[in-house]
Amino acid sequence: MAERMQLCNISDNNFEQCTKCSICTTVCPVAAVTTDYPGPKQAGPDGERYRLKDHAYYDKALKLCLNCKRCEVACPSGVNIADIIQHARMKAGEGQRASLRDTMLANTDLLGMVANLVAPVANATLGLAPTKLVMDSVMAIDKHRTFPAYSRTKFTTWFKRHAAKEQDAYPNHVSYFHGCYVNYNFPKLGQDLVKLMNAVGYGVHLLDKEQCCGVALIANGLYKQAKRQARTNADSIRKSVKDDHLTVLTTSSSCTFNLRDEYPSLLGVDTSDVRDGIMIATRFIYNLVDEEKIKLIFKQDFKKRMAYHTACHMQRMGWQLYSIELLRRIPGLDLQVLEQECCGISGTYGFKKENYERSQAIGSILFKHIEDAKVEAVITDCETCKWQIEMSTGLPVENPISVLADALDVEATRRANGLQI
Amino acid sequence: MRTDTVIIGGGLSGLTCGIALAKRGQRVTIVASGQSTLLFNGGSMELLGNIDGIAVTTPLEAIGTLPQSHPYSKIGADKIAGLADEAKQLLADAGIDMEGNASANHWRITPMGVAKPAWLTLKENLRIDDLDKLPAKRVALMCIRGYFDQPNGMLAQGLRELGFDVKAIEFTTDDITSLRRSPSEMRATTLAKRLISNSALQRIADQINNLSDDAELVLLPSVFGQTDATDFQTLQSMVKKPLRFVATLPPSVAGGRIQALLRHYFKMLGGNYLMGDSAVSGQFDGDKLLGVTTAKLGDMPLKANNFVLASGSFISRGLVANYERVFEPVFDLDVDADGEREQWTRFGVLEPQAYSRYGVATDNDLRCMKDGKPIQNLRAIGSVLSGHDAVKMGDGTGVSMLTALAVTKGIISGK
Ligand SMILES: Cc1cc2nc3c(=O)[nH]c(=O)nc-3n(C[C@H](O)[C@H](O)[C@H](O)COP(=O)(O)OP(=O)(O)OC[C@H]3O[C@@H](n4cnc5c(N)ncnc54)[C@H](O)[C@@H]3O)c2cc1C
Ligand code: SF4
Ligand code: SF4
Repeated sequence: MAERMQLCNISDNNFEQCTKCSICTTVCPVAAVTTDYPGPKQAGPDGERYRLKDHAYYDKALKLCLNCKRCEVACPSGVNIADIIQHARMKAGEGQRASLRDTMLANTDLLGMVANLVAPVANATLGLAPTKLVMDSVMAIDKHRTFPAYSRTKFTTWFKRHAAKEQDAYPNHVSYFHGCYVNYNFPKLGQDLVKLMNAVGYGVHLLDKEQCCGVALIANGLYKQAKRQARTNADSIRKSVKDDHLTVLTTSSSCTFNLRDEYPSLLGVDTSDVRDGIMIATRFIYNLVDEEKIKLIFKQDFKKRMAYHTACHMQRMGWQLYSIELLRRIPGLDLQVLEQECCGISGTYGFKKENYERSQAIGSILFKHIEDAKVEAVITDCETCKWQIEMSTGLPVENPISVLADALDVEATRRANGLQI
Repeated sequence: MRTDTVIIGGGLSGLTCGIALAKRGQRVTIVASGQSTLLFNGGSMELLGNIDGIAVTTPLEAIGTLPQSHPYSKIGADKIAGLADEAKQLLADAGIDMEGNASANHWRITPMGVAKPAWLTLKENLRIDDLDKLPAKRVALMCIRGYFDQPNGMLAQGLRELGFDVKAIEFTTDDITSLRRSPSEMRATTLAKRLISNSALQRIADQINNLSDDAELVLLPSVFGQTDATDFQTLQSMVKKPLRFVATLPPSVAGGRIQALLRHYFKMLGGNYLMGDSAVSGQFDGDKLLGVTTAKLGDMPLKANNFVLASGSFISRGLVANYERVFEPVFDLDVDADGEREQWTRFGVLEPQAYSRYGVATDNDLRCMKDGKPIQNLRAIGSVLSGHDAVKMGDGTGVSMLTALAVTKGIISGK
């Protein structure tokens, strides 16, 4: 009897595990700033009961969900609340076309590729007042937003020209999923990773074929395209992990979460066989340091006071610990760990005109904490958090890898790890 | 990943222990699979409230009469007074201002209007030292229109039975009315996030000043003060009469704030708090625990010299019951529980329930037992412990804090 009763109680998503305690609602950043959103409990497990009966009960307000996953982190009963909401949205969005604006925002790589070719023009035009006004009124991209600057040379181009050749000479090896942001906007982060990994004796290699991970496609309802790209990435990752035995490192928490968890749960692209082989670089490095397989030696004269912001998806993965603990090893770094709050941007969400005010209201708690921390810069593992925090606080924001690379005494580290300089 | 101590569970007991250890220079990691039962706490701590259904007035004396299986007896009744002072100080250091002392209970008022014995209560909450000497006679019970988590009828009735002359007054403001668009989520914690601007508070104060006519004391549901007590002070400065908060049904703003302040303090002391991750198994070497594997850290277990289990009772999944047995899910430790399923519960929610005394078995130093033998470096604290009953004895929060402080001493002294 026992076994049979259990079976009756299991659904695709685990909404029946909800005990109705409302704890999720207390941490939802959207419910905190608008009554238009019913909150995770209502939007997730409660609403699901109705939607199962008839999908007509679908509530358009579910679009306001940031998919930040804070509700899931807080739920004492392990309900996958945000997944339930995302699935309901996907179901409601089937057969509908995304708007031009959403398509443009979602295609971070396409936008990047074009902008990249014409970087100086793109940077100037995307920042120009008239362009901003057109984007604001025609495209509904909020005029307050500054597009992240586009780099003239793509990361992959730099890598092929200046780094690829020497990678094979290192005793150990890893792959790198750089993501759109590193490739088109901020190659320096990728260069910092190469510098850091090389210094501890690891050669870095690109995947056979990398496409945008698709996190923005999912958020903007372009599921078919997301699925196609996910399959390409899954194949390349599988080749790296299974055939070449190379762990795939990342430097963006959102890409990482997408590759590991959203591919199977939202897109139905199974990556479970290689999930353990995909990880944020700080986790990989921390483990090597912890097991005393490598040594990091930092500059004597590095002195900074910085604050660490835990990106929502980083917290969902539970990996902020690795970034924080590695940063704590830098002797000259006075590190302030901020309370986890949502910055409000959630990828492309905050770029949309209809979301701008809400996005800023959500972030205001975090911005206040940053201001109170009296730091010269902020550190976070997510690039969209970076844009939001830079725009809203005026402080520079860096990835932990860049801070580590910056503080690293490269020569001493290479020597300590037995490399010829 | 190695730290000096790893704590499983981030509720009142885990955080108390983490703070006390970090203050003594230890590096501590807490792993917490979700929010804790503090979200159900209205803003009071209880040391010992009842024995066999009779209210306890002097808990320190009553603790001496408890059976040896009670966690207080294991700590040693003579140590309780000192640990209780230490606990109150720890709360104050974290920015949680509570009043009360361990030698004499006061009364707190539940959301249902029942007076219950308590040890510490937040300064802004209604607290009665002596039921024969009420702090006021005529009270205005301000009820927010559309807010469901305060059963006003029962609360007013309960207060009347205590001897108050109660006038229940419904009110609203524009800010509150606009929140009602999503009535299912009009919860205390949502109100607390929205009613923070001085102008919103002023509009509430204006209503109170207009409506509370001859009252000597104004009572307001505890839906203010998400991060600290300044909202209360601001409101009190605007309201012309003395003001006190009354606890609401959960999720509770006061409990959420206690949780957040303790967690913040722990992090300030350099502690690692892994929110949303759970311990899934342990690696043992004989009677020693070497490491704990968590769901998210995967193949990199948390290693430490000492481990503390603070995973709570059934509601937090520190204990689990299936059709056959009651068990502790992470390490499968020995539990003190009845074998037969029929004995676990009794009909009637308000009846004393056997299951609420169930918990992991420990020796007198609160070391966890596995297969009849104590694990040398794994101690249990808080409601995962057997032998006490938070609901019927009113000893839950006291057991959480005091057992946490007691094992801290054991860990530091290396005993
Ligand atoms: C509805 C209710 C009302 C109560 N009212 C009162 C009251 O009025 N007065 C009073 O004194 N006491 C009351 N109590 C009891 C009181 O809440 C507890 O005694 C005390 O707060 C328990 O604290 P704790 O830290 O031991 O456990 P909890 O608060 O239960 O915290 C346990 C923590 O451990 C985490 N956890 C569990 N398993 C794992 C795992 N495997 N890995 C990682 N983390 C894990 C949980 O997510 C949670 O964060 C009440 C309890 C409940 C449920
Ligand atoms: S926190 Fe989890 S159990 Fe509680 S109401 Fe939300 S989904 Fe349900
Ligand atoms: S994912 Fe974030 S925005 Fe969406 S319901 Fe959960 S907490 Fe709210």
